[in-house]
Parts: sequence; C-alpha cells; structure tokens
Amino acid sequence: MERIAIIQGIRTPFCKMGSSLSELNAQDLGRIASRELIERFNINVKIIDEVIFGNVSQPPDAANISRVIALLSGIPLTTPAFSVHRNCASGLESVVTAALKIQSGDISCVLTGGTESMSNIPFFLTKKLQDIIFQFNRSKTFLEKIQTLSKVRLAYLEPKIGLNLGLTDPVCGLNMGQTAEVLAKEFGITREEQDQFALRSHQRAIAAREILKEEMVAVIPPTRYETAVEFDNGPRENQTMEALAKLKPIFDKHLGTVTAGNASQVTDGAVALLVMSERKARELQLEPLGFIRAFAFAGVEPERMGIGPAHAIPKVLKKAGLPLKEIQAFEINEAFATQVLACMKALASDRFAQEFGFTGFTGEINPAGLNVNGGAIALGHPVGATGGRLILTMLKHLKRNNLHLGLVSLCVGGGQGAAMILER
Amino acid sequence: MPVTFRTENQLGVIEFNHPDSKVNLLTADCLKKLDLILEEVKEKEDLKAILLVSGKKDVFIAGADIKEIEKITQTNEGEDKAQAGQKVFNKLEDLKVPTIAVINGVALGGGCELALACRYRIGTFNPKVRIGLPEVNLGILPGFGGTYRLPKTIGLSEALKIILAGKVISGMEAYKIGLLDRLFPQVGIHEQLLKFIDEILSSKKTKRNQSRKGFLNAFLEKNPLGRAILFDQTRRMVLQTTKGFYPAPLKALEVIKNNFGLNRNQALKAEAKGFSELVIGSISKNLVKVFYLTEKFKKYMPPGTENILPKRIDQCAVIGAGVMGGGIAQLLTQKGVWVRMKDIDYKLIGNGLKTAEKIYKEAVKKRKLKPHEVKRKMAQITTSIDYSGFKSVDMVIEAVVENLEIKNKIFKEFSNEVSDNVILCTNTSSLPVSAMAQATRHPANVVGFHFFNPVHRMPLIEVIKTPFTSAETLATAFQFARRLDKTPILVNDSAGFLINRILLIYINEAGRLLEEGWKIQTIDQIMTDFGMPMGPLTLSDEVGLDVGIKVLHILEQSFGARFKAAQIFERVYSNGLLGKKMGKGFYIHPMESRRSKILKRIANKEIEKILGTRSAQVLDHDEARKRMLYLMVNEAAMCLEEKIVEDVDTVDLGMIMGTGFPPFQGGLIRYAQEIGIDKIIEDLNTFQDKFKSDRFKLCAHLANLA
Repeated sequence: MERIAIIQGIRTPFCKMGSSLSELNAQDLGRIASRELIERFNINVKIIDEVIFGNVSQPPDAANISRVIALLSGIPLTTPAFSVHRNCASGLESVVTAALKIQSGDISCVLTGGTESMSNIPFFLTKKLQDIIFQFNRSKTFLEKIQTLSKVRLAYLEPKIGLNLGLTDPVCGLNMGQTAEVLAKEFGITREEQDQFALRSHQRAIAAREILKEEMVAVIPPTRYETAVEFDNGPRENQTMEALAKLKPIFDKHLGTVTAGNASQVTDGAVALLVMSERKARELQLEPLGFIRAFAFAGVEPERMGIGPAHAIPKVLKKAGLPLKEIQAFEINEAFATQVLACMKALASDRFAQEFGFTGFTGEINPAGLNVNGGAIALGHPVGATGGRLILTMLKHLKRNNLHLGLVSLCVGGGQGAAMILER
Repeated sequence: MPVTFRTENQLGVIEFNHPDSKVNLLTADCLKKLDLILEEVKEKEDLKAILLVSGKKDVFIAGADIKEIEKITQTNEGEDKAQAGQKVFNKLEDLKVPTIAVINGVALGGGCELALACRYRIGTFNPKVRIGLPEVNLGILPGFGGTYRLPKTIGLSEALKIILAGKVISGMEAYKIGLLDRLFPQVGIHEQLLKFIDEILSSKKTKRNQSRKGFLNAFLEKNPLGRAILFDQTRRMVLQTTKGFYPAPLKALEVIKNNFGLNRNQALKAEAKGFSELVIGSISKNLVKVFYLTEKFKKYMPPGTENILPKRIDQCAVIGAGVMGGGIAQLLTQKGVWVRMKDIDYKLIGNGLKTAEKIYKEAVKKRKLKPHEVKRKMAQITTSIDYSGFKSVDMVIEAVVENLEIKNKIFKEFSNEVSDNVILCTNTSSLPVSAMAQATRHPANVVGFHFFNPVHRMPLIEVIKTPFTSAETLATAFQFARRLDKTPILVNDSAGFLINRILLIYINEAGRLLEEGWKIQTIDQIMTDFGMPMGPLTLSDEVGLDVGIKVLHILEQSFGARFKAAQIFERVYSNGLLGKKMGKGFYIHPMESRRSKILKRIANKEIEKILGTRSAQVLDHDEARKRMLYLMVNEAAMCLEEKIVEDVDTVDLGMIMGTGFPPFQGGLIRYAQEIGIDKIIEDLNTFQDKFKSDRFKLCAHLANLA
C-alpha cells in the first residue's frame, strides 16, 4: 500500500477562549493556517485534489467548513472539500481520511487540518422559547400574538451555552470533567500527581516557546490590527505547585481532584497539514516532514472516555507490528492530567494487557519522552485542531532530534481513543 | 448594410449590423437607411410586431458617431443633425404596430434614445447590458429625443439622475427604474419574445413595466411646486459637482425644465437647439478630444511589446505597509490578486491592513460591497516580516520610504528571494529605477510602477522603463495596470518621471507667490477657478509637505536651480507643519473623528508668522495663474524634448489622470496650444526679465509644439 507523506504544516498560535484570537471564527483560523502553508512552502494550489478539515463545533454560519476554508484560502473552486468530525480527534481524523482516500487510489494530495474557535461557539435558545417564537411569527391577529407572548416564562429566556452542551456526553450524561473524575477515582490518581503533571506541561511549553514558534504563522487579529499574536498564550511562566494547589475542583466540588489548573484550556486555534502519497511527493521533489506508519481508533465506555489512548495505542502498535519500547517519542493529548496518568498506569499493567488482548504491545511510557514540548494543559485544546497539532509538533520534534518513530494519541469525547504512529 | 429589414412569420425584424465593425453606431448613413426601412414598414399593416435587434455580440447600439459630432462647427449644422435623427425616431414612435427593442448588450446615447422611441424595451441577463445617456460627458446633451422621452418613460427625477450625470446603468438597474419592461435569459429569448408579443396582442393589461417610483418622487413630480423643488435641488447639485465648469448638464436641465408639458414638436425643437449650442463650444470639443485620448490609452502598448504575451499575475508581494502599500494591497485584492504584505514589524503591517480595510469599509458604506465580500478580500492579504512566501509570488511591488539607499538594499535582498522570472516593481515617485534595477540579479525584470495617492481613486499609473527593462516585463506591467482598472502611460527613467516633475514646478511657484505676499486661499482659488480639483497648497497639505520637499530636492539635484524648493516650504517643513497627516499645514485640518466635514478650510495662521512681513506688491491674478501654468507647460516641453515621454498625448492624458488637470481644458499642451504657444513664450520671456530668474528660461522645444 502507498505510504502517506506529510509534507509540511502550519498552525496559528493557540489562544485562550475570549483572548487574542476571539475576533476570528473557525473558518478564518483555518484559512489563515492554510494560506500560510501554501505561501510559505510555495505549494502550487493546483496539485491539491481535496480539502478535508476537522472541526467539532461546526459553526452555523459555515456549513461544511472545509469548503469555506478552501475557497477563502485560494484553493481552486474546482477542488472539492468535505469536513470530518470525530470529536476531539477531528484534526487527526482529517489526516486519516486523507490517507485512506489516497491509498484507495482516488486522489493523491489533500490539504487537511483542524480548526476550532471556542470563543465563537454560539448560545442557544431554549426549545420552549423557540416554539413560542415560531408560533408568534405564525400568529395572524394582534390578540393571537399577545396570547402567544404571554406564554413566555422567565426560565425560558436562559440561554443554553453551546460550549457546555458540546462538552457534555449525551449518552452517559456526564460532562468531560466528570469523566476525568471517574478515572481519577478508579485509578487512585491524587490531586498532587495531577498538579505535578500540569506544572511540567507549563514548564516544558515555556521552554519550547521558540521551538513551537517554528510551526506557527503570526496572526494580526482584526478589527484593530494592532499587534501580531506570535506565541501561544496559554503557558504560564510562573506556574507553581502552590498556585495550582489553591484551585478548587470544578467537577466534583467536595471529593474531586480535577481543577482548571490540571485540565486542558479552552482555546482557539487551527492547523493545516499537506498530505500526499510518497510517490507524488517524490514526483514533485518535495521533502516530507515524515510519514504515517499506522493509525487506529478504539471505543471505550463514554463515562471513561479519557482511557481511550490506553486502548488505541496498543491497537496501533499491533497494526504496525512494533513493541511500545521502540517508540522514541509520545504525544498524548492532555485533555486532563488524570486521564493521561490513568492511561500510563493502564498501559504499564500486565493485567490490562491480558484483559484486552494487548499483550506484547503495552509497557511503560517514559515521562521524559512524553509531551516534551508541553501539552494541552499549557497550550490549550482547541478540540477540532488538536489532533493536527500533535502530528505537526511530533513531526517537527522527530526531525529536530533526528528520531525515527513517534506516536500521537488522543482521548475522544463519547468514549474513543485515537492513535497514529509517525515515522521518518 | 448597417441596418436591414426582414419578416419572419408576421414579425418584422429590423436588424442593426454594421459591416466591418464590432459595434453598431448610428451614423448619418445608418439613420438614412433606417428611415427608408420605416417608410416601407409603415405600409405593412399585417405585421404583429416589430423587433429591433442587433447582429453584434454584446452590443445593441453603442451610440452616435462621435466623428460626425466632432465635425459640427455651426449651430444650424447641429440643429439639422439632431432634427434629422429626431425625425426618424418620431417615425419609429408613430408606427401603429408595437415596436420592441431587444437589448442584449450596450445601448448608449443614440442607441438608448432609439430604444426609448420603441413601445417596449426588453433586456437580457447578459452582464454586458449597459444602458444610458452619457452625452454630457462629451459636453453635449442627448439630441435624438432623449431629454423628452426618458422623463416620460421613467419619471422626471430618475431621468434627471441619468441624463445630467451621463450615467450608464446595468440591465437590472434599468429594469428597477422601469427603463426596461422585461429581463429575459439570453437562452431561449426567442420563445420568450414570442410569448411576450402574444401577451401584448391578447390582453388589455398594461405590459409596460411601471417603475417602482418612491412615494416622494411621485409626489414631487406630480405638482408644480414639487417640480420646482426638484429642479432647484438638481441644479444646485449639478453646480456642486461641476463647479460651474461644465455647461452641458445645466443646459440639459434647462431643456428638460422648459419642455415640461410641451408637445413633442416643441420639446424636440428645444432639445435640438440646446444640443447645437453645446456641440459647437470649445468645452465639448475638448471633452471629445479627451475621450479619444482615453480610448487611445486604453489599448496603447509600448513599441516592441505589441506581440508579447504578458505574464499572468496571481500573487504579488507588497513591501512596505504605509499609506501607499496599504492602498496597493487593497486595490490588488479587490481585483482578486493575492498579496503578501511585508514590512519590518507587525505593528507597521497592522497599519497597512487598517489602511486597506478602511478603504473597503468606505465601499461598504457606499453599498458598493457587502461586508462578507470585504472579509473575503481582506483574507487575501497575508503578512510577513521576512521574505518567507516570496518564492510563490509572480510580482513584487516595493513601496517603502523614498530613500534610494534603502530601496537599493531591499531590491538586492528580495531579488534573491524570488524566482527568476518575477516582475520587480518600485512605486517610487521620483528616484532612479535604473539604480534599483542594477542592484538586482535580473535588471530586465525591473520596472517602475508608480501609483498615485490615493491609490484606489487615482486612475493613472506611470510605468517607468529603464534601459534594462525587457519587453516582457513592460508588457506585463501594462497589462497588469489595466487589470487593476488603471490607465498606464510609458515614461522613461528620469528624476520625478513625468507627473511629479511637472506638478512640483507648479507647486513650487505657488510657494514663491506665497513669499511675495499672496494669500494662501487666493493662490489656491486662482487654480480652482481655472478648474484644478484643488489648489497647489491644498494639494501639498493632502500629500504632505515632507514628501514634496523630498521630491523637490531630488529634482533640484537632477535639473538644477529651477527646482530649488521655495524658502517658505523649507521653513514650514522645519516647523513640522506637514499638512493633513499632522492636522496642520497651510491649512488647519480638524481630526476626522469630528464628524462634521468642514466645507471651508481655514488657513493656518502660523504660516503668516513664519512668512513674517512681506513686501506689498500689486497683485495680478492673471500673472499669478500664468506663472504657475506656463511653468508647467515649459517643463512639459522639456520632458518631450528629453523624450521622457513619447508624445503630447501622453502629457495631456497623464496630467488629466494624474493631477486632475481639468478635462474641459483638453489637457496641458492642448490648453497651451489654444492660448497660443507664441503668447506663452512671450509671457515666459517677460517673467524671466521681471523676476530675473532662470526658472522661466524657455525650453527650445516649446516652439515646436505650436
């Protein structure tokens, strides 16, 4: 089967919700990353056969956001586009979908990526209010209108916050933070362990500021156009254990351990990656950042969604025929510190391997080789974009350090895990 | 035959199809033929309807033949000419059979008037459909019944808007105001027309498209007082836009006003009279000349480039995000070109983006663009503080500060960052392009591409050719300028090129007048009275005195003392009174945020202080005007002598489009010729003696321009 090359990638800085990038919506962020990718690496847009972006919140004003991004980025209008959604793994899913389409022989080059503007997720009206508005519009007489309006109750006016709806699992009824609490309790992961993990994420991200800048395009946000955003704004230079310890648990106020400090940040950002067949890359004399070795997805209980990587990682290793210890670098998305720690514990346990038939493909992950440039706790987690960032950050890391094998993985809301092995 | 008649199943078809031409014109010959056809058709009572169609693609009838109009020198000739057309159109109007003009393209002037004489007008969705009466742009008024029939067809106020502004509108707009009765798709138009004819013949309902007149308009038009108000307001508006320099719109207004309520014969007679008065005037003759000029330069290609295929430009780097850079980025993206904007820091780039967005937002305010379009256009500007992304551009336009050292350095830098066949342009207004060319690896790819400020409004681009510039580079620059809807002129590489050189000798003279005791406003008024859009000192304030001084220094270096900046300029400059951008120059410029736009500028009192006491002189307005204008004429003669530009036409067109030199004067050299070159020479000699200054020294070539 055709090996899939990832040629280059660009991302916007990741900025906390409501901060520097909040004036730009998801389609803007996506087109900024895409266009910079095209221009900086002198990509001829005519070689792109399809545009596939991942996005979770699906802005109502940009149906099929990939098509919007494609047109706004100057991709020829004859090039088709569609969007993918695998919740938190949407960015990675775009690359996987592209790989499968290329391997099927249908096409040979895809502009992929992920984008999310969590600042721009709308609020919704209650269903009751919506019904009344509909009825009001249909009322013919003045009296009818008055009667309809009189049905409005104060409670109907409370908006539903789209972001919260998206972060709540409709099947198990828990929100993502609560699923993290489930794992903390199951695996006995302490508050301190989690805070320690969070602190390290910040320290590493701060140390890697210039390294991460390589992946980025500076963005001058409208409408003021005053300064450029050149760095991620999530990492805190003076983060301490003391400061982390002061934060109150959010999801379980009394017995919980998950705080805003040891969970990923709610963030805006986008990533664009150019994916093509190895043959096509050679034909165009492009030097790829790296190649896809294998990918895998796994399903788990929705209320334990954070354990997803512990299932997806051995699954992908098995597919690639590689033992875990051969992987030289790991990126596991830090949705929650406790969830990453739980995965590491599970992977280190023989019983877990036996129970799920992963024997031979699990083992201990050395924390020194995991998320070496910081993770979502510091950098933020623009849900649709993160999968793309992990791939980009990993490929650049492998290249910088002349490593050969890296593995990226994410837990996925709704109870899934995603994993991909990259090689060069 | 330019016009033929045939019948198809009881349908009469009058087809206009001028042999050996892409367009149809209503020549005298064509009118004569049409007259014969109408005589013949009059007798045919068995016809269901008559269609008036064009055999040309995208053209119905482009208008009367300007060459015929140009030749008219006597009023009776003009009257005869108009009446001859009117007579034919009356015949058309009087036919008993329904007549339908089928407009699938341009219907201007006489073409539009012909359609108005038909009972129905059908347009198509072809975007090339353009309808209007642009006669006033040539200093005349519609003479084939347009002033009479258009108000009757679409109402007084809409008609005035079109006739007095010489407006040309789209098919959709024409439908909205009731000028077109139907709009049909081009595909299947024949069937649609047959259906329409059946409709006309069968039912008694109105088939005319009753325009959706606003309530206010209807009210104004229907009573004498309302009409008086409408005419009065319109007159004031015309005076405001023409500043009284252009008689045609006023004449047209007068004709329409006096004709209200008169019968056809009386009205048309008055129209013909008005037409004949205008058509023999020098203003109309000048405007026709300018029309020819613009037509010539729409197609002009520099010698040696006629057969070269220009390169296509899709992506362009703009270096420098100042007012010019921002304006250029806006213009380019508006025309669909991607822009990579580079400057040394993001704050500057942010300003460039702001400049571009501001221009776009004005367009939204004027409803020329929708907000989503602006977002999309702005998305076409990407930014960078280094040369990343330069590998993918087809053209670079440098618009950094006017400093040759810096420009040379930048040219050297970026010529190493781009592909080998990229066109490299400088927007310099006065520095030697050849020097920049020699700093690069590919001097043949370098060309000057001089925009005027404000970029989105000024229609001229000076394309500067160096000895190294290749034919392909030149052809590409010309083609690209046209893609931006600008008119390019070819100028050889010499300090200040053409426009700024001529302009600055004039502004500098205004400075000398100021020193001699003239008032700021008086100097400016002398030139606005001449027809310039603004006076020289107002212009200096708009552009910025720092820019002017800098160019003067460059010009002085190249051409000597006649360009030595007036002392007052140096002193005002050193006092930091640079003009609009500082809020103060020769005038006080209140900040824009104060919403009320001041109509009357207030002169800056500080200037008086800087000037000190000046010797009182007997002030002669005529002399002042002559000094400013004749110096320009003399300088233009030098430009021609030095072969900076090819010919007189280039000077005339360049001055009109680059400086707003009044078109009704016909252009700088044409104006001089009208005054008499010998008289100008005489005056210049007098000035040289009187002021003991070499700046009035005659250019030997001037005499050749007579």
